[in-house]
Amino acid sequence: MVIVKRKQLTLGERLYLPEIVRGLSITVRKMFAKRATRQYPEEPLVTTAVTRGQPRLAMNPDQTLRCVSCGMCEAACPAYAITIDAHEVEREIEREPEHFEIDMLRCILCGFCEEACPKEAIWMSDELELADYTRASLVYKLDRLVRPVSQLQGRIDYIEEINRRWNN
Amino acid sequence: MTVLLATLLKVLVIFGCLISAAGISTLAERKISAWIQLRRGPNRVGPFGLLQPLADGIKFMFKEEFVPPGKSRFLFILAPALAAVPAMMSVAVIPFTGRIAEIDGTPILGSVADLDMGAIFIMAVSGLGVYGIILGGWASNSKYPLLGGLRAAAQMISYELSMILIILAIVAMSGTLNLREIADAQNDHTLLGFLPAWNVFLQPLAFVLFVICTFAETNRHPFDFAECESELVGGFHTEYSSMKFALFFIGEYCAMIVMACLTTTLFLGGASVPFWAEAPWFIGLGSFVFKAAAFMFLFIWVRWSLPRFRYDQLMALGWKVFLPLAITNIFITGLVLAL
Ligand code: SF4
Ligand code: SF4
Repeated sequence: MVIVKRKQLTLGERLYLPEIVRGLSITVRKMFAKRATRQYPEEPLVTTAVTRGQPRLAMNPDQTLRCVSCGMCEAACPAYAITIDAHEVEREIEREPEHFEIDMLRCILCGFCEEACPKEAIWMSDELELADYTRASLVYKLDRLVRPVSQLQGRIDYIEEINRRWNN
Repeated sequence: MTVLLATLLKVLVIFGCLISAAGISTLAERKISAWIQLRRGPNRVGPFGLLQPLADGIKFMFKEEFVPPGKSRFLFILAPALAAVPAMMSVAVIPFTGRIAEIDGTPILGSVADLDMGAIFIMAVSGLGVYGIILGGWASNSKYPLLGGLRAAAQMISYELSMILIILAIVAMSGTLNLREIADAQNDHTLLGFLPAWNVFLQPLAFVLFVICTFAETNRHPFDFAECESELVGGFHTEYSSMKFALFFIGEYCAMIVMACLTTTLFLGGASVPFWAEAPWFIGLGSFVFKAAAFMFLFIWVRWSLPRFRYDQLMALGWKVFLPLAITNIFITGLVLAL
């Protein structure tokens, strides 16, 4: 059996008014406390290398893609968001994606593609905003996926650091 | 003729100000609640969100009107008007300031109607507001609104009684029912040489009781049993939509404003400015608005600080605490006056 001990209220507490005044003083102090709200579009989110935003394809400084269309990311993707069509090229790597699509509406930003890629070609960028009027326009093609390596460097360094820690 | 025109002008100005003040109060309510909860509140419409009430009004107009089938359509539509009109009417006797001007020997006073029984008028008329709520609850043909309406009625009756008894004590002290004279009576001398002789200092118990009664009277938190969301969905206005819903709210805020003005008049010396007996009328008006606004702030502040009472606690408080205290207060006042 549970016996709940009722706390004996003091006269001040039973009068209720002093307690009301105490409560009111708390709320009025909160009125001048620091706001927790961020004014989103004007104050953008703070992103760091840890931020796992939308996946992007890295482009070398000589304007070539790193991706060799191996399909590892396509296979790793749990949301079936990636679709790749390969074609052959004259470069050393011989293959390149002809079409590379990521359906951003399907992508769950899990980062498996980044982990799976053997060529360090796909990275989770710090881009987070996703809004448009049609579903079709949110299926990103190559032209909207490719980013110069320099833009993704922060993330690349961070992942390398993590990997080094794991491998030692 | 000019006197008539001046009165007409006063009616228009005071009515306009009341409605705008109700709008501003809704914004203040949202802003202050946000500040208390560490949010920012509406700040997208106009600078600091100042045009928000306007946007809300337009939104209300374009909302779909829905009338639930079953009960009388006429009563359903009548109810919001009945809730809003008394609150707007009772503002007529509030003396916002002293004498403004004199035309042909007739003084133009700071109230629309300088009634000799202003205190009774205001209690009678503002008490009518509850009919709108009961009617709205009944005509909605739904159980929650009905319960809300009944609660509002029971609550009004319980607290109106104490309220009138408290006012009686004030009336006994100033010897008049005219609100302007009650306000003036507080300004003709000082207490202990420095305090203005406002009733809040002469009758502190009555003041506290009266302020709490105004909360119950206007169905405000922590006594908002008529609409108590956690138990009754939305209470009496559950079935209302669009402008009819808005009208209930305008009525509620007007009632709050009237009660704030009434408290100012009865307890804070109305339009007087401490230590400046000969203040011109516009200074007095400013002082009045300032005091009333402070009470409006109190209304909002309390709403966002306290939890709601339980219904039986409300009734027990009204009948077992407030009524005896109010009666005691009258007796003490009578004794002191007789001595
Ligand atoms: S982040 Fe995850 S869901 Fe998105 S494309 Fe990569 S593997 Fe697929
Ligand atoms: S895993 Fe890397 S290299 Fe392979 S297809 Fe995906 S992005 Fe290209």
